[in-house]
Amino acid sequence: MSLLEVKNVSKIYGPLKALDQVSLKVENGEWVAIMGPSGSGKSTMMNIIGCMDKPSQGEVLLDGADIAKESNKALTAIRRDKIGLIFQQFHLVNYLTAVENVMVSQYYHSMPDEKEALEALERVGLKDRAKHLPSQLSGGEQQRVCIARALINHPEIVLADEPTGNLDEANEGIVLELFKQLHREGTTLIVVTHDPEVAEEAQRTIVLEHGRLVREIVNENFKED
Amino acid sequence: MKKQKMFLKMITASLIRRRSRMLVALLAIAVGATILSGLVTIYYDVPRQMGEQFRNYGANMIFTPAEGGALSQADIDEGLTCIPEDNVVGCAPYRYESVTIVERPYMAAGTNLSEVQKTSPYWNVDGAWPSVSGEILVGKNVASTFALKPGDSMTLSYDILSPDGKPATADETRDVPTRDMTFRVTGIFDTGGNEEDYVFLSVEDMTALTGEEGGFDVAELSVSASSEELQGYADAINSKSIPLSSRLVKRVTQSENTVLSKLQALVFLVTAIVLLLTMICVATTMMAVVTERRKEVGLRKALGASDASIIMEFMGEGLLLGGVGGLLGSFLGFAFAQAVSVNVFNSSITFHFLLVPLTMLVSILVTGLSCILPVRSAIDIDPALVLKGE
Repeated sequence: MSLLEVKNVSKIYGPLKALDQVSLKVENGEWVAIMGPSGSGKSTMMNIIGCMDKPSQGEVLLDGADIAKESNKALTAIRRDKIGLIFQQFHLVNYLTAVENVMVSQYYHSMPDEKEALEALERVGLKDRAKHLPSQLSGGEQQRVCIARALINHPEIVLADEPTGNLDEANEGIVLELFKQLHREGTTLIVVTHDPEVAEEAQRTIVLEHGRLVREIVNENFKED
Repeated sequence: MKKQKMFLKMITASLIRRRSRMLVALLAIAVGATILSGLVTIYYDVPRQMGEQFRNYGANMIFTPAEGGALSQADIDEGLTCIPEDNVVGCAPYRYESVTIVERPYMAAGTNLSEVQKTSPYWNVDGAWPSVSGEILVGKNVASTFALKPGDSMTLSYDILSPDGKPATADETRDVPTRDMTFRVTGIFDTGGNEEDYVFLSVEDMTALTGEEGGFDVAELSVSASSEELQGYADAINSKSIPLSSRLVKRVTQSENTVLSKLQALVFLVTAIVLLLTMICVATTMMAVVTERRKEVGLRKALGASDASIIMEFMGEGLLLGGVGGLLGSFLGFAFAQAVSVNVFNSSITFHFLLVPLTMLVSILVTGLSCILPVRSAIDIDPALVLKGE
């Protein structure tokens, strides 16, 4: 059974079909990139897989359960327990330090543990910046805090929306290296991007256009380290 | 780290690190709490203050003999046991006797003159109050008739009773023997009332003049209490088996009641308006805070925060602000009430510690109510919309 299975999903806003009969499967531990131009439906897809939105039609099976039929309360619980989110704009709480931002995710999930949060920051190379506020961190550092926050509760899927969109080349390299490490450790990664270089790092790339899945590219050069 | 500790850390960090916005809300709450605390202090202290002011307008309770006869000092003392000692401002018993001054009839009152000063502080005395035996206070009309001034002497004549025990009649005046005593006039008083036709001397001098220890015709009391309390004291005295009747001086107690009820209604109205304005100000500020933090709320929801968590966090911030504002306001309110009391009533007030938790509680309640709409708008935030990438 696939970890995630999207079956004939459509999202309709009045006359507009943001997603049109999209189907895909993501296996446990797989790294999948979703590509497409602006307005192709990438963000809608991300929101549906991330349990922040529901499809108008179709099924979204996560661990075999159809999340499309769940209540908003249940979706919140699924988000909390099974999904780690990484955003293009980082979205850190600006009045909390790096370690506190990581602990916020623990707070909603189970129990805040500063030691564990510091270990997560160490994993992304930011232990010495743990007590800094987001305004005292560079963009790359903020994104790494965001990654630490996404990983802290050991989610089944890490969903990243344009994770390198606001980063320079050096920081993009650091973030991609972190993703490779996560993949090696067996984390399931779904990365939404418009950057072909980022997509090339994934095992498989899904291409969306006008809400439809138009192509699926398997990265022949993908190396399992 | 415990969840509660993290919760406190989040809400205090939000308040401290985003202090400019929160200071506006805190200021609004503190101002509201100051007015609330100050006005409530005044509300509860005004009856006492007003009571003291009204004590200047004379006695508010009188004792009279229950069935004719006269009041004894023992009866009066027994009656006074029904009134807390601290509440009795003064108690002046009066023994009235007919006297003649240069063959003209007048009324003389034997009383405790130091108590009269307490029960009738509005008497305007030209000169001084009698302080020793042989001194007398003369009403303005009497003094005018005989062209008396402080320091002059005057003689009071008291008709000695005929052998059958009855006072001499007018026709017998010339044949009835009198006891004469000369007094030194220490002061001339005016009150604007009937008292100006009287002379006042000590009980001892009255006994010496009449040659016998008579009872009192009436006792005037000035009691510091609300009209309900006064009525309670009067009822308690009347229910005792002592030969005296206690009643209130309605013109004083009713005036006091009218002024107090109007003043208290005004205080209540102003407090209600101030609390309403505080609520509007806090609600507006919190609404701005929610709008400003839409992305943060969206993020928290995306991370798995339930609606209850979002409500708790915003309410927590609001209630913490309410508590701190209430604490500040309770002390500032006391200072405000003290200033009002000193300037208006010319007396200070005591600090009521109970007012601190009460003000904090009301501030927390007002802030909680103010947060309802902003919190509702926070839980309606759709994370997918507010976290949308560029």
